Amino acid sequence: MNPGIDLQGSFIQILTDFGLSAGAAKVLWLPLPMLLMLISATVGVLVTTWLERKISAAAQQRIGPEFAGPLGTLIPVADGLKLLVKEDIIPAKADPWLFTLGPTLVVVPVFLSYLIVPFGQNLLVTDLSIGIFLWIALSSIAPIGLLMSGYASNNKYALLGGLRAAAQSISYELPLALSVLAVVMMSNSLSTVDIVNQQAGYGILGWNVWRQPLGFLIFWIAALAECERLPFDLPEAEEELVAGYQTEYAGMKFALFYLGSYVNLVLSALLFAVLYLGGWSFPIPVEAIAAWLNISETTPWLQVVTGTLGIVMTVFKAYLLVFLAILLRWTVPRVRIDQLLDLGWKFLLPVSLVNLLLTAALKLAFPVAFGG
Amino acid sequence: MLKFLKQVSDYTKEAVQAAKYIGQGLSVTFDHMQRRPITVQYPYEKLIPSERFRGRIHFEFDKCIACEVCVRVCPINLPVVDWEFNKETKKKKLNHYSIDFGVCIFCGNCVEYCPTNCLSMTEEYELSTYDRHELNYDNVALGRLPYKVTQDPMVTPLRELGYLPQGVLEPHDLPAGSRRAGKLPEEILEEMEASKS
Repeated sequence: MNPGIDLQGSFIQILTDFGLSAGAAKVLWLPLPMLLMLISATVGVLVTTWLERKISAAAQQRIGPEFAGPLGTLIPVADGLKLLVKEDIIPAKADPWLFTLGPTLVVVPVFLSYLIVPFGQNLLVTDLSIGIFLWIALSSIAPIGLLMSGYASNNKYALLGGLRAAAQSISYELPLALSVLAVVMMSNSLSTVDIVNQQAGYGILGWNVWRQPLGFLIFWIAALAECERLPFDLPEAEEELVAGYQTEYAGMKFALFYLGSYVNLVLSALLFAVLYLGGWSFPIPVEAIAAWLNISETTPWLQVVTGTLGIVMTVFKAYLLVFLAILLRWTVPRVRIDQLLDLGWKFLLPVSLVNLLLTAALKLAFPVAFGG
Repeated sequence: MLKFLKQVSDYTKEAVQAAKYIGQGLSVTFDHMQRRPITVQYPYEKLIPSERFRGRIHFEFDKCIACEVCVRVCPINLPVVDWEFNKETKKKKLNHYSIDFGVCIFCGNCVEYCPTNCLSMTEEYELSTYDRHELNYDNVALGRLPYKVTQDPMVTPLRELGYLPQGVLEPHDLPAGSRRAGKLPEEILEEMEASKS
């Protein structure tokens, strides 16, 4: 396998050539990808909120934001600015510490999970050997924050919303983890890069969607529930709970919740793309096209094209899934809390267990196709 | 054992059917995305009010005989008729007439019962003001005619649903000269008169 562009290696190489020690060069490198990821995650949220408005409008035969910038693209900026300058209210009888800590605890793990999202062979912050596991572990911190903010708000709606959020996250974590586990079993690795590489080679035919038809459905349903998106937005069901755990929040703290939920949506979509849709790989393997055109894999411009294509493909797949999530929002009615728990515990959990066992059996029976 | 298998197959069937329904729903919402927005962008586009529209009331001062029928049929006795008796002509002389559109419910009773037809409904509905007392229209304000939507160069007039050709649900981009579904009232009248003679 051709390593592709190694930005970190080249950056450290250049700095050591200037006379810096390798350690210092690495320290200088470290903040760059983190900052880039933070900014791109935030920009991704802005794009997603705009898409949400526009697609919702289109699904309802409306126009949506139109006058703020071309096609209303400045609407998310206007939203953000408005929330930024709004008064930050802490209710009189709320617990100020927990009330402030809640949104932070929701947002930070989501952003932290971007550590393991790969956009190319070397285009990720860190290639952890327990990458996917880290994501699952981090995503179970968020409900603590939700429960905390719901409880600290000293409001019945907020408390109910927080409790619902916790119940929902816990019950959908299991099918999510189990369906991820099936993928992990096939690729023999928890690292996101390995999972993508295991799907590469046959283009679109090699992607995990075909090998995990049940798994990807379960993952998507569970991911929607984890993101608290419709049809699973019970914690924020406005007809019942005003806004759930967000009821008492205003200004920047509310913006953090908002940001967190959309970052989580984009993150889930990205990880879905990584786990089931071949991550950064093009539907037709780029190596095959290069070989067919008689271009060496190590040609610099080809590597740049491959890298760019990888980023574009990952983002494209992720936003396709975001689109699907928004379309689902206007298609499916909200489930009741008992239906939600029924679906999680009585349907998704056994089905994902069966899926896991089936994958294990198939892996033993056909090690060639299911990653021996 | 067989019963269990049947249960499993029934359950699977139900799950597949549920998935099918969600798929159908998704195709409906997806189909809606490629339709043209039916939004009427209000200050720039306006719907043409129908001929039976009950908007602001128009009043013709000279026709009024100050009979106060409008006041009597009004659910809240709203019109204010200020008149005095002219002894020489032995007729009532109208001094002022006013209707407060902040209180009016636009029921149209006054228009219906006015013996001299000096009251009529207009298609004006843009009555918003910063002060509710400005809604108290006197006989001069009541005598003004609204500006027609179709004649306003700043406004794209759009037809209402009942005035669109058959099968069309959307007033934008109608071909020129397209007429509404069914016969026009005057055509029906013509036919009736033709069949009579």
